[in-house]
Amino acid sequence: MRDNKLGEKLESIVGDRFVMQRESDLLVYNSDGLPGYRRMPRLAVFPGTRDETIAVVRALAEDGTAYVPRGAGTGLSGGALADDVVLLGLQRLKRVISIDRENLRAVVEPGVVNLRLNRTVAPYGLLYAPDPSSEAACTIGGNVAENAGGPHCLKYGVTLNHVISINVILPDGEIVTLGNPEGETPGFDLRGAFIGSEGCFGVALDVTVKLTRKPVAIRTMLADFMSVDDAAHVTSSIVASGIVPAALEFMDGPTIQVVESSVYAAGYPADAAAVLLIELDGIAEGVDADRDTVRDICLAGGARNVIVARNDAERTRLWQGRKKAFGAMGRMAPHLVVQDAVIPRTRLAEVLRKIRDIGTENRLTVCNVFHAGDGNLHPNIPYNADDADEAARVHRAMGEIMRACVAVGGSITGEHGVGLDKLGYIDLIFSSESLGAMCKLREVFDPGHRSNPGKVVPIHACQEWRAAPGAR
Amino acid sequence: MTVPDSSHPMQELVNDAVALGTPLRIAGRSHWSDAGRPTAGTRIASLAAHEGVVDYVPGDLTITVKAGTTLRQIERVTRENGQWFPLDPFGSPDGTIGATIATGSSGPLAHSFGKVRDLVLGIEFVTGDGRLVRGGGRVVKNVAGFDLVRLLTGSWGTLGIITEATLRLYSHPPKPVTVSMALPESSAALAQRIASVVEAPVTPLALELVDARIASRVGLPANAAMILEIGGNAASVTAQLLTLSRLGGVTELAPGLWQGLRGIEDSGHEEPPIVLRVSGLPAGVAATWSALALSIANVDGAAMHATPSLGTVRCVLPPNTPVDEVRRIADAAIGSTAIYERLPSAMWADFSPSVVSDRLSQRIMKAFDPHGILNPGILGPAT
Repeated sequence: MRDNKLGEKLESIVGDRFVMQRESDLLVYNSDGLPGYRRMPRLAVFPGTRDETIAVVRALAEDGTAYVPRGAGTGLSGGALADDVVLLGLQRLKRVISIDRENLRAVVEPGVVNLRLNRTVAPYGLLYAPDPSSEAACTIGGNVAENAGGPHCLKYGVTLNHVISINVILPDGEIVTLGNPEGETPGFDLRGAFIGSEGCFGVALDVTVKLTRKPVAIRTMLADFMSVDDAAHVTSSIVASGIVPAALEFMDGPTIQVVESSVYAAGYPADAAAVLLIELDGIAEGVDADRDTVRDICLAGGARNVIVARNDAERTRLWQGRKKAFGAMGRMAPHLVVQDAVIPRTRLAEVLRKIRDIGTENRLTVCNVFHAGDGNLHPNIPYNADDADEAARVHRAMGEIMRACVAVGGSITGEHGVGLDKLGYIDLIFSSESLGAMCKLREVFDPGHRSNPGKVVPIHACQEWRAAPGAR
Repeated sequence: MTVPDSSHPMQELVNDAVALGTPLRIAGRSHWSDAGRPTAGTRIASLAAHEGVVDYVPGDLTITVKAGTTLRQIERVTRENGQWFPLDPFGSPDGTIGATIATGSSGPLAHSFGKVRDLVLGIEFVTGDGRLVRGGGRVVKNVAGFDLVRLLTGSWGTLGIITEATLRLYSHPPKPVTVSMALPESSAALAQRIASVVEAPVTPLALELVDARIASRVGLPANAAMILEIGGNAASVTAQLLTLSRLGGVTELAPGLWQGLRGIEDSGHEEPPIVLRVSGLPAGVAATWSALALSIANVDGAAMHATPSLGTVRCVLPPNTPVDEVRRIADAAIGSTAIYERLPSAMWADFSPSVVSDRLSQRIMKAFDPHGILNPGILGPAT
């Protein structure tokens, strides 16, 4: 029991039940979706209303205490880990405040789970487009913090493209509206700057999101290949054809085998080297024509078979294997590292070969399941984090994979964020001047580095920028 | 492997300006320089010489260009590969990509492709203290680091001189068709017409309303109309045209119409016109449209068009429109935000004192332009 004074203050705001200070209670919050990292919060607080959240943030400001905002804790970059600071859990803020069917938007609290938002708006023929694989658990606040993506972001865009405005409480307790819920905002795009700021710029109190009309026709197809290269080249050919699929997902042999031997078996051919799960949506007549074109491209590019889902049940089954692939990998080893990087689409085949070699050299199984249409790779490695030797090999392989992606002009993260895990890689893609500029931006929102300290931009980058002469 | 700091000739210009205390006016090709508030910048920082493609891999559907490259040049290069950069801001296509990003300008295609913020993947810029900074990257999806791309987009040069940009491209639709539909006059009927099209199974590339004056300026009969550009494969285009014709009579138009629409404010007057963009909720466009139509009816030469899905109506007024008239027109759009694109210099203070007076914006300006030398005053007076 440390921090009695702050703890008591917070208890007076949210009630005893929603402040945790005992180590045994806090254990649940010492990790997030990223294995291999453990950080123990000093205290955890869970406000239940907007007013409580405001009071909590202001109490923390008054106390000068640092905090880490956390949604569902499904993040995969260690962004929600609190290292001896306060963990500010927002999952109790789960009201869908309003739905505006005419203007295609909804106002939600940050703790609303994606799937729940989608279920709420589905009766009106609407959906919220960003669909991270963790959509059954992850929250809109977390989506905003990470600028989350998902399979259907190929056509529909990522969180950035679907957030209209955000009410934010800054680390010093001031409340600001970023963006304009009722039109444009002249001036700087502060909403754009906030999205993807990984909890370093403040806490969202509510988010106005854009809703999308459900497409009238959907065609889901599966193409299987005996060669990873062929599947990679077909990916490029589909994108180059001018058709923008709603989703274009890639699963390699090891992934297919683990999915097919699990309870999530989706009927993928277990002997295939790779499958592409392709979804087209839009107007029925147009989608059918595109389906024929895509099938021809697949077959011409070496696909063994192309099957098209005949009904919703078949479609759901084809998707099940993709969505549950990470879960299925849980059977292979106690831990799974889900990596995230982006490469130019035309370099897919080459980089996948490189990743396979890196896996072999480090005696690791790499399962690739990813958003091929965006060039957004997810090389996943099942391993045992408690085996020091294996953990070291995983760490080495991850570094090599990052460098391979950067070498072809890619990025170190497409949707998971930098968090804690990728701090060491960010200077592979940004110069110290660029990192310094990012640090400056952070300090506009949070001069004291109190909101999610130590994440995204390494602290030395901030010091270097400050040290430089003002005008040179 | 760490990315080294690199350099750009524009840094020297900025460092000189800081040393001499001479504020800069940033210019692309100076085609749009009548837009925005007057700036105290005296020395021109021109990007005209910084043009050309840095990197273009058609298979990746991305292109990296220097900021002085014009939209027309980008169009030419990408069309050779059956691709396009679907951003069509109003004004001359000889405007530069740097100016387009800095001003956050878009046109009718924003209906389906989004605005500048949705289409720019990465930028390089020089800050007001001479640092060369990059944000984003060259791939289509990227969340590494804080988002300097969105920060700089629409910042009108006040946070940095954009020197390079990576853009998201799309395949050009094979045979887009442009059609018009008549618009009813009453606000309620107009709202119904817009809703019937928006909710129908049609996915236009662009959907714009034009009033009778703009219609006649772009060569159509002098009646208010909805203009749609329909793209996709042949089956999709045919099905969409059929759907539209069931909703109301459609007339097929020559595609050159869009170019005409982009150029409306460049024609007719020696002085640039006054341009006022009224922004609100999409469902409110019909009411705003009707109110503005009434308010400009007696203003000679005033015209307007709208992008319903974005909730914007744009009024183009003659340059000599008196202050009181401009105010009366802006006030007619109750509940909307008025954004002034072009105004005679003297009018700015009256209409839009500052859009960066809030604490965060002020701090951002201080961080990226500590000496106040980048387009000072263009977003409103420094406070």
